[in-house]
Amino acid sequence: MGRIFNRVLDRLEEWLIASFMAAATFIIFAAVLHRQSSAIPWLWDYTGALNFSWAQELCIYLFIWMAKFGAAYGVRTGIHIGVDVVVNAAGPRLKRVLVVLALALGAFFTAVIAFMGARWVWFIHGTGQVSPDLEWPMWVVYLCIPLGSALMCYRFLQVMARFVKTGVLPVPSHGSAAEEGA
Amino acid sequence: MNVTLILLILLLLLLSSTPISIALGMTVLTFLVLFSSFALDTVDIVSQRLFTGLESFAIMAVPFFVLSGTLLTEGGIAARIIRFALALVGWMRGGLAMAAILACAFFATISGSSPATVVAIGSIMLPAMVKHGYPKRFAVGVIATSGSLGILIPPSIVMIIYAVSTSESAGKLFMAGVVPGFLLAGVLMLVTYVTARVKNFPTMPRASAREVWVSFKEAFWGLMLVVIVMGGIYGGIFTPTEAAAVAAVYSFIAAVCIYRGLKVRDMPKVLLSAANTSAMLLYIITNAILFSFLLTSEQIPQVLSQWVVDQQLSPWMFLLAVNVALLVAGQFMEPSSIILILAPLLLPIAKSLGIDPIHLGVIMTVNMEIGMIHPPVGLNLFVASHIARMGMTEVSIACLPWVFVLLAYLALVTYVPAISLWLPGLLYS
Repeated sequence: MGRIFNRVLDRLEEWLIASFMAAATFIIFAAVLHRQSSAIPWLWDYTGALNFSWAQELCIYLFIWMAKFGAAYGVRTGIHIGVDVVVNAAGPRLKRVLVVLALALGAFFTAVIAFMGARWVWFIHGTGQVSPDLEWPMWVVYLCIPLGSALMCYRFLQVMARFVKTGVLPVPSHGSAAEEGA
Repeated sequence: MNVTLILLILLLLLLSSTPISIALGMTVLTFLVLFSSFALDTVDIVSQRLFTGLESFAIMAVPFFVLSGTLLTEGGIAARIIRFALALVGWMRGGLAMAAILACAFFATISGSSPATVVAIGSIMLPAMVKHGYPKRFAVGVIATSGSLGILIPPSIVMIIYAVSTSESAGKLFMAGVVPGFLLAGVLMLVTYVTARVKNFPTMPRASAREVWVSFKEAFWGLMLVVIVMGGIYGGIFTPTEAAAVAAVYSFIAAVCIYRGLKVRDMPKVLLSAANTSAMLLYIITNAILFSFLLTSEQIPQVLSQWVVDQQLSPWMFLLAVNVALLVAGQFMEPSSIILILAPLLLPIAKSLGIDPIHLGVIMTVNMEIGMIHPPVGLNLFVASHIARMGMTEVSIACLPWVFVLLAYLALVTYVPAISLWLPGLLYS
């Protein structure tokens, strides 16, 4: 049961962030095309009916959602690098303690943010605030903070549990050069 | 007092190997809990800032450029660029190494990241150089060093982050990177040429004019990207962020339809890998914005800036101190974090001393390049050691002579502002 839950969660996370990325790119590209083609008179009949004023806002929201869930995915892939000079110089026992401490700090911080984010969402829900261009309820938009942060906390705990059990940490495919998927 | 405390908390957290982003956030949290009469409402600012801090269209150029870089690295364009570079300079003494540098400079015009440049060019040129009898150490040093051009020659992710954290114009900063970037490529090629003469490295047969033309045509579609990005920004057709999105779509078309290095079914993997990196960067950015919010609300930049003014430092001494501080920071952190933490602190001081913010941005970028080929956290070293299958220590030693070349170049860029400011001054006056 737990295994299936984790599998579904993993795929959902990956699918979400990849789609957010693709959608944001497409939307901004379309908005630029639209703005440029609006200058062409004979296309005006077609372009005039469209309105892309919401594109920037949507792009920002998509990327913020991608960033919050992607940060959780990043814990799983080990891409959040820290300063490891001390850890590398330390003996195996101290190293173990430091790594667990660092992961625990990560879990603690994200848990606090998830909690405060939830409070914030609740508060915004009460105000009935909507976003300027899309007029979406802001509390839904802000949901990415508690949800993303809670997921990130879960990932930190997962990585910690695995490290305590097996001593293995996720290794990024060399630094942020994973960047370009090398 | 508060300055010391904040920095002390941050330092402790950083040294415990906590991810930099988390360390920044925890510092803010700890400080608020300890020193503002602990009310949930004040701490609420933290979670709110984690969203609103990112609510800027300018920042979103980062994920777009990461995506476009990922597409190009895997899209098979590197091989075409290398062929063109070889046709141009391969016939000189040490030609293969010089072509590697030139190819890195070309690739830097379409990619905003240094490790990506090392991967794209290095994975082809490194084995080639070793095969033609270059010492492996020399080859690794050349690749890791010239790969660092990726962040100096526009587009550049590091420059966007500087622009965002200081509210400067990314377009201007890009323009300011053009001359220093290609000048550095020239310097690196010159050093390589001299070394090659002394050590008698091999040459390649001179390419026919036809080969130059054919290889140029092959590389043309890739090299067009920089024309679109820079021309579009400068011509006012789109903002830097929109340019980045257009670049991503263009790279997709180039990688899938023109160079056919990627297939449509590879896209989920590419998107995921780009999302992974950009989310990491955005997460550091958010927490760094939170951190600089704490610094500002404690008036720390003003205090520091006043202190420096009171010391009556001359600009050149200040710049020297900045360079030393950045080089030290570069030993421990990666570029985006350093820029995000230090740029908002340094900029007010620089302004009060009459130093141009754009010039400071270029200085910081060149500093970051040095950090990238210097242990322990030089990203280029990691990547190069992976490609070359050499240990980190050996790669670091291989890069050491190049560190001195870059240091000399840094001094030049620092004290001759015209190198950076001439082109933007010409275009934006």
